[in-house]
Amino acid sequence: MSAPATPVAAHPATTPALDSKAGDRIGDAGSGGPRVTLASASRWYGNVVAVNDISCSITPGITALLGPNGAGKSTLLHMMAGLLSPSAGSVEIDGIAAFGHPGIYRTVGLVPEREAVHAMLTGREFVRMNARLQELSNADEATDKAIAAVGLDEAQHRRVGTYSKGMRQRIKVAAALVHEPRVLLLDEPFNGMDPGQRMQMAALLRRLAADGRVVLISSHILEELGDLAANVLVMVDGRLAASGDFREIRRLMTDRPHSFTVRSSDDRRLGATLLAEPTVYSIELADGELRVRTMDRGAFTRSLPRLARDANIRLHELRPTDESLESVFSYLVAR
Amino acid sequence: MSAPVNRTVMWLTFRQLFVPRRLVMALLLAVLPALVAALYHAHPNRNGISADVFLDGMYARFVVGVLLPLAAVLFGTGAFGLDLDEGTLVYLLVKPLRRWQVVLSRYLVAVTATALLMVPAILLPWLIMGTGTTTFSSVLSVAAGAGVGCILYSAIFIPLGIASKRALVFGLLYIVVLEEVMSNQIEGAKSLSVREYVLSVIHAIRGGAPTLVPHVSMSTVWVMGTIIFVGGLALAIRKLSAFEAAERL
Repeated sequence: MSAPATPVAAHPATTPALDSKAGDRIGDAGSGGPRVTLASASRWYGNVVAVNDISCSITPGITALLGPNGAGKSTLLHMMAGLLSPSAGSVEIDGIAAFGHPGIYRTVGLVPEREAVHAMLTGREFVRMNARLQELSNADEATDKAIAAVGLDEAQHRRVGTYSKGMRQRIKVAAALVHEPRVLLLDEPFNGMDPGQRMQMAALLRRLAADGRVVLISSHILEELGDLAANVLVMVDGRLAASGDFREIRRLMTDRPHSFTVRSSDDRRLGATLLAEPTVYSIELADGELRVRTMDRGAFTRSLPRLARDANIRLHELRPTDESLESVFSYLVAR
Repeated sequence: MSAPVNRTVMWLTFRQLFVPRRLVMALLLAVLPALVAALYHAHPNRNGISADVFLDGMYARFVVGVLLPLAAVLFGTGAFGLDLDEGTLVYLLVKPLRRWQVVLSRYLVAVTATALLMVPAILLPWLIMGTGTTTFSSVLSVAAGAGVGCILYSAIFIPLGIASKRALVFGLLYIVVLEEVMSNQIEGAKSLSVREYVLSVIHAIRGGAPTLVPHVSMSTVWVMGTIIFVGGLALAIRKLSAFEAAERL
């Protein structure tokens, strides 16, 4: 294998460009911690561009990688994990190109999205195998610790093939953190977990991040990350659509116009009444339905029943029409 | 590290290749020649074929001709194929291992597993038939030839297992088309057939055996054998090093 490339020397053109994008620096700005650096990273398959010119730097703390299905999250994560080479640009872990340098795996742990694990092994054997493959001198001790961290002590001697979906996710996390990596990449880790397991996992990830690790979690469900991540990368169609503070992104998502479809005993009169409301900024009567757009969904949903009752109109149905994550993302991109 | 093989990778590969179901199948294959020998032994007139001629014929046509490539294709393509089918190869790739270490470890396991299956397949029929005129040293020569077969077949089927998800089908096609049909029809194709190399090795060690007449010279075996061994492993290492696995992982 060739010697690790020095980032600055290898990419003189991209490095200044990266530094100028201060807004794309994600996480604590503190130095010395592990760092995942992407400079104009792109990846295409034939004519299909999966990841398009992404530059950012991910530093310790929890970072959420959000985006609808097919946005390129997994491709980006696989590039960070050194499983895919970037078609253009660079992806580096602590200044070493991620692809083609197996040494980075002492620093990086990956929880793949696919559920598959070696079903013929017991949970313990699976985690211990990962410890041995990491060439840890204290494989047994590390295995104990990792299994305890995900709370699978009791099930550790059962074959992984008998595990539930949530247990498989947890044993995968145990396998990924058995060598205490400073960078932990998790592809949709909450899939198949019940709320209790989710909270337990969130607490574990918080602890790991508090120790100064980079924890990157991908998800297509905004709400599932709750207030877990302080920092967010939003991907749409292979591009970085938004990045920054989680609360800020969330506010943008909440403050966007919301659409509702209303059916009532008198749509025409209800529409006229609603138009007088300051929170409503457009109404439309079509196909026997009343479509309402509002900037403040909370105020609107609270005032609608009161207005209908005062006007003596019976409400049949109230339905939000654009709550899919895709529409939220496309709103963000359009800004 | 710089060790050529990784013991944990080998352990995993053995565990994958010998799940109980496959272990039973392998055992059945391994004792099949013994069953055939027992049938011959129990047959009253034996069709006028002497024991040593029968044994040699079975070694050449059945053990070397069928069982050896069958076992090699199962274990050789399975060494990577099982991980690719399940999507579990990723756990080996995100480790501080060189990819050539992964290839060499799995190659060694495929060779060993095939060889383990061949031991009872060769030894048991000889024991059942009674030592007769076939000496132990000539049985050893069959074992040596089969050993060469394990090494070469695995060098073909390991890269095939990395390159294709249908490796088992392609491997079986290779055996049937190239080794069975073509080498019987076209004389030149014999110099591409691992089975012929095995027969040549057996013949060379024994110093001549009437029933195992080889069609290729030992120099061909050396040249082609080296090309297959080096080329196959180099190809496998190249394939795995370039392995990018978003979907297939």
